[in-house]
Amino acid sequence: MKILVVDDFSTMRRIVENLLRELGFTNLDEADDGQTAWPKLKSGHYDFLVTDWNMPGMTGIDLLKMVRSNPETAAMPVLLVTAESKREQIIEAAQAGVNGYIIKPFTAATLKEKIDKIFARSAG
Amino acid sequence: MCASHKGAMMQNERDRLELLEKAKQLVANIENNDDAATGEVLSSITLERERSLFREVGQLTRQLHDNLASFALDSQLNDITDKGIPDAKERLNYVIKMTDEAANKTLNAIDEILPVTDEMQQKSERLSKNWHKFLGRELSLDEFKIMSAEITSYLDESCRNTKFVHDKANDIVLAQSFQDLTGQIIKKVITLVQDVENSLVDLIRIAGTPQPKVAESKAQEKGQLDGPLVPGIDVQGAVNSQDEVDDLLSSLGF
Repeated sequence: MKILVVDDFSTMRRIVENLLRELGFTNLDEADDGQTAWPKLKSGHYDFLVTDWNMPGMTGIDLLKMVRSNPETAAMPVLLVTAESKREQIIEAAQAGVNGYIIKPFTAATLKEKIDKIFARSAG
Repeated sequence: MCASHKGAMMQNERDRLELLEKAKQLVANIENNDDAATGEVLSSITLERERSLFREVGQLTRQLHDNLASFALDSQLNDITDKGIPDAKERLNYVIKMTDEAANKTLNAIDEILPVTDEMQQKSERLSKNWHKFLGRELSLDEFKIMSAEITSYLDESCRNTKFVHDKANDIVLAQSFQDLTGQIIKKVITLVQDVENSLVDLIRIAGTPQPKVAESKAQEKGQLDGPLVPGIDVQGAVNSQDEVDDLLSSLGF
């Protein structure tokens, strides 16, 4: 499974990638905001997107909306990992078609739980 | 009653008596048809009025000047804008740099540790399995010889690797020193923000125009993000835990 990790902070990308590797995902790629992520997503045949919300250039929510509006990427599972914790934002993300929402700081167990849930659902 | 107030009242009383004296003289001069003397008294009264007006304006001007001068002396606003704020920006950028370095140093150390511990774990498991076979007398002589060689190399590696992990763990400990340093820097910036606040309050007081109170919950600009929750700072409509996020999402049918 090919996963794209998008966050403007390199340390957060490393942390998420380390945790994903621990969970057995080894085909990982990264981008530092929506603008650099989008060309990769369009051409790279990714299976899963893990993205932050607040990033310069293009935010995670805008990236999610682009992913959903493009037929090639519309079905891709998207997990938001963000410090944004307002109810209206969580609702906005849900309406935009997010598959999971994790607020930072988070634990390895939370990440595992959400990923398991996303893939159990998409498999079933 | 304070001395200055008492003095001002006495001054007013003297002025009143002086004016009364002049008025009496004016009436007398008019009754006596003495035009020249009448004109003299009238212009002396006018002159006195003008003088007191100028004195008043002069006093106000001096007061304003003194206030502004003392504000410039007292307030650190100049220092703050010239030096404090640019310094604070530098300091905060340094905080970002230090936390970034510390996080990377820690992650690097762990990246180096994990393959070593993984390898040791695999070797331990294999040896443990063979060792139990040996104890159960299920190991052939040849297998025993191979295991003995493996144990020898495992013990050597174990000494080397535990030392390696120990050193990396120490690197991780040292990387945490950023907390002390960034803490000190951030405290300095908090003091600066406090100084700016005090100076601005003084400035508003001197300007003397009471400002209408800013509405407490100013409508947020659309698209503005709050970022991480900070204990003690209330963000309206924010959830407090991952459980609340999950509850909200499941209430939306997730």
